[in-house]
Amino acid sequence: MLQVGSLVDGKYRILSEIGHGGMSVVYMAINEKANKTWAIKEVRKDGVLDFEAVRQGLVVETDMLKKLKHQYLPSIIDVIDQDDSFLIVMDYVEGNSLEKALKEYGAQPQESVIEWAKQLCDVLGYLHTREPAIIYRDMKPANVMLKPDGHVTLIDFGTAREYKEKNLADTTCLGTIGYAAPEQFGGMGQTDARTDIYCLGATLYHLVTGMNPSEPPYEIKPICDINPGLSSGLERIILKCTQRNPDDRYQSCAELMYDLEHYEEIDDVHRKKQMRKLGLFAGMAVLSVAFAVGGFSVGQVARSKATDFYEEYMENADSATNDTEKIDYYTKAIAVPNKAGTEDAYLGLIKAIKSNNNESVFTAQEEEIIVSQIMNNRKELEANPEAYVDVCFELGKLYWYYYDNGNGDNQANRMKSSIKWFENAINYASEDYPNIGMCRVYSSIGSFYRDISTATVEASDRGLYRPFFDELNQLLDTVFADDEDEIVKLELLELARSAMQQYATKMKKDEVSLEEMQALYQKVESQLDAVATTTDATDEKKASTKALLTDTLHAIQLAYGAE
Amino acid sequence: MEYLVSATTDVGNVKKTNQDSINVKTMTINGEKVVMAVLCDGMGGLEKGEVASATVIKAFHKWTVEVLPGLYARGFTENDIRSEWTRLITENNEKIKLYGKRCAISLGTTITAILLAKGNYYCVNVGDSRTYEIYDQVVSLTKDQTVVARDVELGLITPEQAATDPRRSVLLQCIGASETVYPDFFFGKEKQNAVYMLCSDGFRHEISPEEIYAAFRPDNMMSADQMKENEIALIDLNKRRMERDNISVITIRTY
Repeated sequence: MLQVGSLVDGKYRILSEIGHGGMSVVYMAINEKANKTWAIKEVRKDGVLDFEAVRQGLVVETDMLKKLKHQYLPSIIDVIDQDDSFLIVMDYVEGNSLEKALKEYGAQPQESVIEWAKQLCDVLGYLHTREPAIIYRDMKPANVMLKPDGHVTLIDFGTAREYKEKNLADTTCLGTIGYAAPEQFGGMGQTDARTDIYCLGATLYHLVTGMNPSEPPYEIKPICDINPGLSSGLERIILKCTQRNPDDRYQSCAELMYDLEHYEEIDDVHRKKQMRKLGLFAGMAVLSVAFAVGGFSVGQVARSKATDFYEEYMENADSATNDTEKIDYYTKAIAVPNKAGTEDAYLGLIKAIKSNNNESVFTAQEEEIIVSQIMNNRKELEANPEAYVDVCFELGKLYWYYYDNGNGDNQANRMKSSIKWFENAINYASEDYPNIGMCRVYSSIGSFYRDISTATVEASDRGLYRPFFDELNQLLDTVFADDEDEIVKLELLELARSAMQQYATKMKKDEVSLEEMQALYQKVESQLDAVATTTDATDEKKASTKALLTDTLHAIQLAYGAE
Repeated sequence: MEYLVSATTDVGNVKKTNQDSINVKTMTINGEKVVMAVLCDGMGGLEKGEVASATVIKAFHKWTVEVLPGLYARGFTENDIRSEWTRLITENNEKIKLYGKRCAISLGTTITAILLAKGNYYCVNVGDSRTYEIYDQVVSLTKDQTVVARDVELGLITPEQAATDPRRSVLLQCIGASETVYPDFFFGKEKQNAVYMLCSDGFRHEISPEEIYAAFRPDNMMSADQMKENEIALIDLNKRRMERDNISVITIRTY
């Protein structure tokens, strides 16, 4: 340990200890002749098992780091190799770490976070483009200093690479390994620039939401779910940075930087694209021509004209041969004045989206079309609750059975996304609405999947499985009595199957009897056989559910201890 | 209810120190028998994991001796246990974190503990140590707080993938290294003629539930000596199968 007040290398007077890490202590020191303060990092011998190896690593590492020059990195100006310790003299960085800012003030303002993000992206990009590339591997708020001038500095850079590899042979705890990207645990390929991009994404998430992704509920949720005031552009950026598979992330800091610089426009671009796709402009143009032709017609005439247009668009949509055209006509129909509260065009739109591009998938792009239509015309729709309820119910089902936002087909995600539409339907429906029972079942099963992981973490999940089981049964019966599409049936059967496999033990604890369980299993098995498939995709779906039946039965037997 | 107890810990094949800590205490309060068993699996650099596990063991022992009798006499609910133990765990999380900061090391510990009293069991868990109930089969009362267990729960990976996942030894949280610790609680009726078993993860990686059942089934655990023998036999089996971790187990036989 260096003594406060002592003189190191004849130049640097040690003033105070300013921090310490796993195997090093950092001091503030002053060069008395030059009257300039420096930080000195001392790698202690007593903290390291094999110091000689560490020293050699440090020599190589600091030689490399000495060559780095970047405004957001502290410069290393001197390396002192003493008998019992290794000293690195570098810029003294004034200010506090972002970790401290988080602790004191919680979530940070979005504008600041974006500004820091750009600076961090800049410095990481600089490191990644060295020859050979330098991967930082330990991006987290504690390693970012915020200087009084508003700029950041990436610190804790003087330790050799070996120490940043997570040593996971022994048990470790998320709390100590920070935001490690999945590949940092080994077994998934090398760490590279995209590892830093993951950790930067996790850092931004923590900064802007105040929620640490390595604490319960241990996930990176869309930031707008946590704070609706945040930018959806930033939300996309963070989600893309933190994809599990490195191939799905930004591939370089340059790519990320571009989006950070245009995060507001990411929303705008989307909006514009949508507008174009919706043909809103076209619709408006046609209408204005219509009004011009009609001259200074009184409201009555305009309204009947509008009705004509609406009918025309609907007919065109009906006779259109491909779904993109249909979508176009339906959106035009919705845009006709006074017609935004009529349900037919929305229902047509939903139907067209279902089969668009010959695939039974409801994509994120299509989601924006339909949701923006509904949101923009919400007032008119709400004024006509019967129509609104129908639209919400159909849209809820569209999410439930067809939604795929490109992040992989995730049943739980689809169900969660549908909840609010079923809830909307329930809120606006009158008691004699024929589908209200179904809405309640959908919404309650969806909520089960939304809440169950938190409930299990909090150990408050007991008692949730029984109603869930009953609702599954009810949903199966209703859907199969209604003769729905094959894909709807297959999705539902898979849902029931996976629920039995995953929750058999829990259901047993919640007093679902073995007989009930077996009855549900047999129902699933026989109905699965009875579903006639007409496409390759549904064929595959059916086969995959069928293939898992044995495992499911096994899980049930295991849970109930039956032979 | 009457109880027989036994506990064994072993440094294992590879490690130089034993970072596990265990404690089991039987008491008679108001003429009724009570058992409190606690098992902690410490981790951390520089062989300081045992500091963390011992700290928590001591805190729970102190609580058992000083607080539990009064609580028992007044009558307590599941919520009392929940709040008492959460407080103990939170306090020790702060204490160990501070110690780690002072020594510039990171250390922490799991905990699994069970209180058998008044015909009920009260069980708490942080990390990947486990408490089992062995009656006509081996049932885990606790749920691992590990990254892979969470991923299995979320349906991201299968239990088979979890067994070989490189992240399998990463805990979601532990006492001493988490910002805040959220312990899991499990409550239920205690069974007569059953065996309650607490173990560190080192005890269960290499042996199957069937082997555990064969050794620890209630009619094979008829005296403290026999229980001890069976514990040692399973620990030896683990070592023969090249388990690398410390190995600890506590068994409680009810009758």
